[in-house]
Amino acid sequence: MGVALGKTSLANNLDIVMKIAISTDGTDLEAEVAQRFGTSRYLLIVDLETMSFDTVPNPGATGQRGAGMQAVVLAISKDVKAVLTGHCSPAATRQLTKNGIQVYAELSGKVKDVINKYKTGDLKESAADVPPTTRGAKIDTITVLLALTSSARQFAMMLPILISVVLLIGLFNAFVPKDLLLAIFSGNPILDTFVGACFGSIFAGNAINSYVIGGELLGYGVTLFAVTALIIAWVSVGIIQLPAEIAALGGKFALIRNGLSFVMAIGIAILTVAALNLILR
Amino acid sequence: MIPMKEDITQSSTRRIRVPRMLLFPASVLVLYGILYAIYPDKTSMALKSSGNIFLSMLIPLALVFALMLILNLFLKPAQIARFLGKGAGIKGIILSATAGIISMGPIYAWYPLLKQLRQKGAGNSMMAIFLGNRAVKPFLLPIMISYFGWIYVLILTVFTVTGSIIVGYCVGALLRNETISPSKHSSDGE
Repeated sequence: MGVALGKTSLANNLDIVMKIAISTDGTDLEAEVAQRFGTSRYLLIVDLETMSFDTVPNPGATGQRGAGMQAVVLAISKDVKAVLTGHCSPAATRQLTKNGIQVYAELSGKVKDVINKYKTGDLKESAADVPPTTRGAKIDTITVLLALTSSARQFAMMLPILISVVLLIGLFNAFVPKDLLLAIFSGNPILDTFVGACFGSIFAGNAINSYVIGGELLGYGVTLFAVTALIIAWVSVGIIQLPAEIAALGGKFALIRNGLSFVMAIGIAILTVAALNLILR
Repeated sequence: MIPMKEDITQSSTRRIRVPRMLLFPASVLVLYGILYAIYPDKTSMALKSSGNIFLSMLIPLALVFALMLILNLFLKPAQIARFLGKGAGIKGIILSATAGIISMGPIYAWYPLLKQLRQKGAGNSMMAIFLGNRAVKPFLLPIMISYFGWIYVLILTVFTVTGSIIVGYCVGALLRNETISPSKHSSDGE
C-alpha cells in the first residue's frame, strides 16, 4: 500500500476535503499572507464552504531546524486540500504534494483575497519535483511522525473511557451480587442472545469496552451467546448515534440498517457459538 | 476531522463533546468517592479488582498501540474513502468491506464523509457494508484474543464480515427505489 497519494489525490477525485491552509502572521482573514510557509506565525485553516477558520500557531514559527517539516505535519494532520503561501521550500512542497495537498506559492496580499483567487481558480499550482522512485514504498520521518501523532491521539482518546469502564467493572465486582446478573441473563440461549443484543444496541463507543465488559460478563457465568451478541451489536447497531446516522444517510436507511443489524447480531451470535462448540468438541 | 456542510453546528457540538467525553470518567470518580466514604473496604476491593483487570490488559494494549501505529503508517482516511466510493458488484463489496474493517476512529467522524459519498452516488448497500464491517477491528484483536481466544475471534470475524455483507445487500434491496443517485444501481452492489 502506497503511503503517498500523489498529485491526483482523493481531494481532487472526490472533492470531499474542503479545507485549505494559509500561512500568515496575523490571526484572521484580513491579515497578509506570510512570506514563508515554514516559519509564519500562524496557519489559518479555512473551511471553504462556510469560510469559518481556525487560527493555529505554526509549530515552525521559532525558525529552528526542521521548522518547515513541522508546518508540513500540521497541514497534513488538518486534512487540508491545499496550502497557500508566499514561499514554500522544495522539500516541503514535495512532502505536501506526496500527501495529496496542492501547494500554491509566490502569493501575497490579504488572506481573503488570495482565498477568493483560489476559489475562482486563478492561482497556479506549484509543481513538485517528486522523483517517481520515492513514491509509495518509502516511509520517511514525516510519515512516521504523523502516524505516531495520530496513534497517540487515538490511544489517548480511548483510555479515559476504557479506564472508567474497568473501574466500573471493579465496583460491579465488589458491590453487585452475581445473582442479579444471572437474573437478567437467565441461561436460555435465545433469550440471553436477545438481551445481549439489546444491551449492545444501547451502548456505543469504542469496541474495546465491549470486549472488556463481555469478557468480565463471561466470568460471571453469562453465556457466550449473550456476550457475542453484545459485542456485535455494540458496533453495528447504534441507538445513541441513530440521530446522526439519520441526518447523514436518511431515516429509512438508518432504521432498516439498524434493524437488520440487530437481527444479524443475534444470528451471528448463535452461529458463532454453535461453530465454536462444534470445533472445540 | 472531516468537514461537513453543517460545519457550524459541528464545531459547536465539538466544543460540547470534549467535556462530555470526560463526563463519564468524572462521574465514575465521583461514584468512587461517595462509595469510599460509606464502604471503604468494599471500594478498595473494587479498586484492586479494577487494577487487576487493567494489569492483565497491559500487554494486549501495547500490541493495540503497535497495530494502530502500523495502520496509521500505511493508511489514511482519504485512502479508505477512495476504496469506498469506487467499484460495483463484487469488487465494490470487497472494497467497502475492507474500508469498514480498516477504518478507525469514532463513527461520528465518518458520517459526513458517508453523506458526501452517497451524494456522489455510492450505493446504499455499500454504505451498510462499510458500517457493518466496522465491527471488525484489526487493531483491537490483541484485546479480543486475550479475552476470548483466537478460534472464537476467527469464527466471529468470518461471520461478522459475511453477515455485514448480507445486511448490506438486504438494505440495498429494500431501498432499491430510494436511490438518490442519478447513476441508478450501477454502484448499488448488484
